[in-house]
Amino acid sequence: MINEKADKRSRKFREIDQFDLNEQPQYYLLPFRFHRITDDKEIIVNEVGDYLLLSNGTFERIVKRQLDKKKDADLYGDLIANFFISEEPIPPLIDVLATRYRTKKLFLNYFTGLHIFVISLRCEHTCHYCQVSRVTQNKDLYDMSIANIDKGIDIMFKSPNPHVTMEFQGGESLLAFDNIKYAVEKAERIAKEVGKGLTKVICSNLALINEEILEYCKEHEILISTSLDGPQYVHDNNRHKPHASSYELAIKGIELSRKVLGHDRVSALMTTTKLSLDYPVEIVDEYFRLGFQGIFLRNISPYGFALRTDKSKYETEKFLTFYKKALDRILEYNFSGHYFTEDLAKIFLTKILTPFNVGFVDLQSPAGLINGVIVFNYDGGVYATDESRMLAEQKDYTFKLGTLDDNYNDLFFGKKAQEIANVWANEALSGCSECAFQQYCGADPVHNHATQGDMYGYRPNSDFCQKNMEIIRYLIELMESDSRIKKIFERWAKTSTH
Amino acid sequence: MQYKNEIKNDEIIVFADTSLYSKDSIFKCLYWYGDKYHTNVSFADNNTYRVSVKPLSTNQLSQEEQQYLLLKLERDLVDYNLRDIVTKETQNVRDLLIAKAFSNGEFDELPPGDVSDPLGFNINQLKND
Amino acid sequence: MLLRTKGKPINIKSALVGKVTRNPERLDENSFLLVEGSISELPSKNFIGILSRQDEYEVINSENIVFKIPTLEHLMEGDIVSVGIDGNINTLYRVNSFHNTLLATERCNSNCLMCSQPPKDKNDINNLYEINKKLIPLIPKDCIELGISGGEPTLMGDLFFDLLSQIKTELPDTEIHLLTNGRTFAWDYMAERLGEIDNKRLMLGIPVYSDYYQVHDYIVQAENAFYQTILGLHNLARYNQRLEVRIVLHKQSIPRLTRLAKYIYKNLPFVEHVAFMGLEYIGYTPHNIEKLWIDPYEYRDELGEAVEYLAGQGMHVSIYNTPLCILPENQWKFARKSISDWKNDYLPICSTCTKLNDCGGLFTWNLKKHSEHIKPIH
Ligand code: SF4
Ligand code: SF4
Repeated sequence: MINEKADKRSRKFREIDQFDLNEQPQYYLLPFRFHRITDDKEIIVNEVGDYLLLSNGTFERIVKRQLDKKKDADLYGDLIANFFISEEPIPPLIDVLATRYRTKKLFLNYFTGLHIFVISLRCEHTCHYCQVSRVTQNKDLYDMSIANIDKGIDIMFKSPNPHVTMEFQGGESLLAFDNIKYAVEKAERIAKEVGKGLTKVICSNLALINEEILEYCKEHEILISTSLDGPQYVHDNNRHKPHASSYELAIKGIELSRKVLGHDRVSALMTTTKLSLDYPVEIVDEYFRLGFQGIFLRNISPYGFALRTDKSKYETEKFLTFYKKALDRILEYNFSGHYFTEDLAKIFLTKILTPFNVGFVDLQSPAGLINGVIVFNYDGGVYATDESRMLAEQKDYTFKLGTLDDNYNDLFFGKKAQEIANVWANEALSGCSECAFQQYCGADPVHNHATQGDMYGYRPNSDFCQKNMEIIRYLIELMESDSRIKKIFERWAKTSTH
Repeated sequence: MQYKNEIKNDEIIVFADTSLYSKDSIFKCLYWYGDKYHTNVSFADNNTYRVSVKPLSTNQLSQEEQQYLLLKLERDLVDYNLRDIVTKETQNVRDLLIAKAFSNGEFDELPPGDVSDPLGFNINQLKND
Repeated sequence: MLLRTKGKPINIKSALVGKVTRNPERLDENSFLLVEGSISELPSKNFIGILSRQDEYEVINSENIVFKIPTLEHLMEGDIVSVGIDGNINTLYRVNSFHNTLLATERCNSNCLMCSQPPKDKNDINNLYEINKKLIPLIPKDCIELGISGGEPTLMGDLFFDLLSQIKTELPDTEIHLLTNGRTFAWDYMAERLGEIDNKRLMLGIPVYSDYYQVHDYIVQAENAFYQTILGLHNLARYNQRLEVRIVLHKQSIPRLTRLAKYIYKNLPFVEHVAFMGLEYIGYTPHNIEKLWIDPYEYRDELGEAVEYLAGQGMHVSIYNTPLCILPENQWKFARKSISDWKNDYLPICSTCTKLNDCGGLFTWNLKKHSEHIKPIH
């Protein structure tokens, strides 16, 4: 230091230069990652997901120590303040950064929250992309037995998570409504005893919904989640129901459910199919028209297409085009003063723009399977995710953790779980380890296995990677080129953290 | 010896100085080419890597596309090398950070500087025991 | 507003603290009798002493007395004063005010360019502590809010924690607002000790002036202050303390203001309140005015962006010390009438303003230095 230590007893004011803790033009890099956003913009993302948008070539200057503390004062300040560089080998605020890192990984503290009960495999629909359900009357074979429900509930309450969610799926879950009632009432009793929070969700196509069922749902505060793929010509084409319109039944069901339960107790999920790809605007309009607060533009199910071939990349391209058109439409609604979100973007934006994370099982690292979700199949099999049990219907039992007769530790920490754990953190996967979007993205070993034949996955032709990388890049490009969009995105991000 | 990056028999060839480019960075870069190209790394001489990519037979490229690919490979090598520098230089801090994140404050650093006033306030006397 | 006066002391051996009353009936062992005219007889009660305007005074029975006080008009029934051996009478607590503040110490480990109450390098800690210790039990239990300021209160050391414990015991229903630079809480045990007191009504107001250390350290004139303050905020959050970040707006803090807003949301999302405050033309500020002055009208865009960003993220935000006519109308909802009654004033032109009643106006001392853009709203 050139200036001698300031006389402590003096209260004479000193100039700003005298508060420079590092007069040598030298700094240390902190962990961060780099990505090109457009031809002339690049970004760097730090270890907790904060990004800085830079003009081309800046990353190189930073790494090569070509910054000038005076001439690049603003940039230099940004880099120090946002944990990209440090004037000391260990940054003075490393403990703050560590706390923030922990906040981003907070979902790990809670462990499994979502417990899916495949209450019946039976269904009265014959959707052509569905490879799971059975049209049958055979309850004994395709409904979850009371004994298995009991065991599932037992395991659910062994989760250390203070709040568990019990979700009933099918087939068509309402075909086994009596069993749902049994499960709900039993779980409520235990939740009360052990003092855990309990959320209950019924997933249904709503063809069988009626006032009586809804009154029950109201009394027991059960949420309804249904499927809606878009306008009638899209939905009915995707979801085949003999002698009836699935769409009309769904719409009627949504209306009735809202009437009885309240508007926001009913949510809808869309599945993108080949047909949907031609109707981005119409699908968004349909959701908007029906008074939903947003739409989740979900990826094409890997089971609908032969993703093992080169075709997958092409299909993903098409999905991305669809996605962008739909997002444009959604933004138009927002420009004209409506609040209407795209929920995949909302998840990414929460990770990009806030210090928090979202517990969304498909986009977590470590992956959401087991940590966030577990599936109890109708036949007593226990699976890591919903996709895993679908694989099982094709005789692929890779992600079967065991059965409901196994004990908790064997299921959740057993050999299978450990095998999956080796590949469930994208921090340690080839391609992902230096990807700037690592903090925003996740790892999905089941998807890798299903589409590429191994859990580890191969990023260069992974549809998961291709989709996420482009959507994240696109979201950043959008908000950095239009401050109106940034405001809208900030609002979406905020509302998903509360 | 001077080498010139080139396109020869559909193969895109780029040379990289071993004192400037790390081996890791070259492999990390080529990883992303593996689904569409044969990739290869060898020594042109003691101080130079020869990095090449060649389209798979199912992936025929036009001349223009080949020119673009050459450019992209050159640029990617630079990018991955820079990324590799960051990764290596910051590995220790990253490990420390994660260890701290999953601790309960027991490894906290001492705060920097002092907090005295001209009369000599002494923070150390206030520690609870 | 008059807060101190002085008379001639007799028999006063140490600083005395008590309530004032003009009514001999209400006298008790914690009160002073205020006397305008002459008295011939002492009330037959135990009380602290007499404060009198009389020019001459004959001691009747070795009572404590200050006489020849120029005025007692400013003292309300129930106000609490300290009376020094030198005859100084300081008002410590005003029953009719919402803005009562305890002075913890005038010592400070920072030296902010715009400090409104410049620190003194004199050890006043024990004396002030003794006064506050006597004062606190006398404060009405229904006191809504009480401030603690300095200097830097934590320099009281152990006494700081004693003071806060006493406050929690004596005034369990009072909101306590403590102004500190937060630096000492970078030492975890300081935050831990405060956490042990566990006063849910305590809120700490801590200044952060920039997201970049050098700017903050320069503004507060102390090396490493930024890092210490941020660490302090984190430690305090770890012990569940309620926190407010305070930002004074001036030429040094404005350039990185919007970045600071992002920094706060990203790194300090746990703070309960963020206050943006106009510059006060008092203390060090006139001396450093060249380094500090920027017309509030000139920074309205930066301020607006910072405020709206934080509010948009769901944080509670206020703008203090800023006239409404400087702010765009959509930000009026963030403006608070923050200036304590006794330092609050308006310009002559304000009399025609339709917003006079909603506007916080100016600090009395800012009448000399205010925005060029103040103009009545019609
Ligand atoms: S999957 Fe792709 S986008 Fe996601 S972190 Fe890995 S490399 Fe990045
Ligand atoms: S003219 Fe005066 S009263 Fe009106 S808003 Fe401005 S400062 Fe306030």
